Amino acid sequence: MSYKDEMYCTKSHEYVVKEDGKYVIGLTDYAIEQLGDIVFLELPAIGDEFEKGETFANIESVKAASEIYMPISGKIIEINEELPDAPEMLNQDCYEGGWLVKIESNAAESEFDDLMTYDDYKAELE
Amino acid sequence: MVKQTYLHNEHVKLGAKMVDFAGWHMPVQYTSIIEEHKTVRENVGVFDVSHMGEVFVSGDDATAFLNKVVPQSIDKLPYEKAVYCQLTKPNGGLTDDLIIYKLGIESYLIICNASRVDEDVNWLSLNARDFDVKIDNQSHNYSLIAIQGPKAINLMQKMGYNIENQKSFTIKSVAIEGIKLLASRTGYTGEDGFELLIRNNDAEFLWNRILEKGQEFGIKPIGLGARDTLRLEAGLHLYGNDLNEDTTPIEAGLSWSVPKDKKEDYNGKDVIMSQIQYGTNKKLIGFEMLDRNIPRHEYEVYFNKEKVGEVTSGGVAPTSGKNIGMAYVKNIAEICPDSIIQVMIREKLHDAKVVKRPFVQKRNRV
Repeated sequence: MSYKDEMYCTKSHEYVVKEDGKYVIGLTDYAIEQLGDIVFLELPAIGDEFEKGETFANIESVKAASEIYMPISGKIIEINEELPDAPEMLNQDCYEGGWLVKIESNAAESEFDDLMTYDDYKAELE
Repeated sequence: MVKQTYLHNEHVKLGAKMVDFAGWHMPVQYTSIIEEHKTVRENVGVFDVSHMGEVFVSGDDATAFLNKVVPQSIDKLPYEKAVYCQLTKPNGGLTDDLIIYKLGIESYLIICNASRVDEDVNWLSLNARDFDVKIDNQSHNYSLIAIQGPKAINLMQKMGYNIENQKSFTIKSVAIEGIKLLASRTGYTGEDGFELLIRNNDAEFLWNRILEKGQEFGIKPIGLGARDTLRLEAGLHLYGNDLNEDTTPIEAGLSWSVPKDKKEDYNGKDVIMSQIQYGTNKKLIGFEMLDRNIPRHEYEVYFNKEKVGEVTSGGVAPTSGKNIGMAYVKNIAEICPDSIIQVMIREKLHDAKVVKRPFVQKRNRV
């Protein structure tokens, strides 16, 4: 099974996928494609807590700076430590190797209401 | 209505990402800005810059007229030579920056920024009242293709260009691939290269010929994204960012393009001359970040905890991998090459070192 089969996406192009009781969060391939060459990434610290929709990371391509929002609320328990030193890796793989953070979350069911499956998300973009 | 160049279909066929820029639908990148940038630094790239304006100025008073609207001494410009200059306002601020080419006796070509063509033509017309001069905006009839990079000359020769020793900043009437055109040895990248002025109907044919014959030199089409990173590294100003109606050539660090001994009066001369003599309140500096953070247009600049200015252009420099920028700051002696300033990025101050422009060695002097 790949991330694309199991993940949920936001309108602002983040994905969240459940893995071993944790949630893995990243940016979709569409988002990366739109940004172009990624040259900067700033991730939060382990232990930081965020509400759904809050900015938890910053990303920049050659063209522009963008914020990355929490798809669901939760507490950061792991970050992809290598990425801020080599953010261009996101242009190759933004899923298995290019996830951003892992969180623990007690998000209510309702927080998932506006999330889409990858297929629905792609359809929405057309 | 957003305008399209005569090469629009070619860009779409090449899979370019298109954006609206200065009223035109233009390619921002074809594959990757960084890859395109490196292609121009190492090999050769081709750009569609047909959005730029072409204004012909002729008539008995053409030289005297141009002398009145720019600080440069147009009367000293030799035949087929080009000069970088600015259209100044009475306050010394800039309507635009441009290149003027001398095409013949009392006959000139102005190439100006796409976003400023209308303002420029209005301003020129307003100033033309007492002169016998014709101002002919031909922007809609011409396309402009730039070939830039160390291998630009090899590609030009392969396409039949046979002029020995065409110097930098000159323009020649030549035939390439059977098309008569004006070839100017200029550009906006810091590299050697040419800008080819052609009739719209020849644009598609020439563009495809350039891509075909450029293959052996590793040519790639280059979008506006890399055009911006290339010019920034070369320390070249972008009107709207680094220049505007409230910045003078002296404040912008363009004193080299302002003759000190010009006799004739021109718009803003008293302000500009007084700034040369007594100094300016602000100055344009170059800087490089000391961490991974990227400076961007309008970010605030600090020195000794005091806000001293704003970033005008900023971004990554793909050649060095550093993050660089230009900023207008208060003109104090302590802010000079090697001094440390701070840029406010996401509500935090990040250290940067003041450096001299250009950020890369220019290689366009031939």
